[in-house]
Amino acid sequence: MSPQNVVEFADRISRRRALGTALATIVFLAIQVVVRPVFRTDGYAASDLGAHMWALNAALLLLLLLPAGGFVWGRRVRTLVNDEVSRNNSRTAMAAGFWVAMVIALGLYALPASRGFNAREAIYLIATPTTGVALLAFAWLESRAHRGG
Amino acid sequence: VGEQLVSRLREERTRRNLTQAQLAELVGVSRKTINTVENGIFIPSTVLSLRLARALGTTVEELFQLR
Repeated sequence: MSPQNVVEFADRISRRRALGTALATIVFLAIQVVVRPVFRTDGYAASDLGAHMWALNAALLLLLLLPAGGFVWGRRVRTLVNDEVSRNNSRTAMAAGFWVAMVIALGLYALPASRGFNAREAIYLIATPTTGVALLAFAWLESRAHRGG
Repeated sequence: VGEQLVSRLREERTRRNLTQAQLAELVGVSRKTINTVENGIFIPSTVLSLRLARALGTTVEELFQLR
């Protein structure tokens, strides 16, 4: 592949990653609305499979924020896809996620103790929107970076 | 305080009849990086600024100014 083709190929991959991240996140959040796992008061999910699937989904989606992956494309393409701009966008998205997590965590703390969230339920309520906001922010920042070229 | 970075990267690139992809290839960065610097979305690091200036045969001060 010629150097210019490498740049164009990396550009296509980067655009697809932004779109794919947005779509995967929307599907992830939509699934939570439709089949939200129900947590029992003893700390376990009513449907362990649903809870495990949620945790696996969230963990896999969060991997998209790491400046890694794409080993099949080779080092040159990988470096271009995860360049200075993408690393900066990833840090900004993670910071946005952090603030969402803090606001929700403090909101849950402020709720009456009688509401009695168990640990798993609280983790679910914090991690789901945090994952969503961080990934959608990353997708938006990446899409913006490609616009107007 | 209150100063903004003004980029002349687009002018310098087009003056040399280079596309964003061609400049990206010369500098060894992605086209996205060139695009964000030209649009003022991304403030480049010192290393990137020096590489851009070297690729265009100019100085960092010519490419970027504070206003």
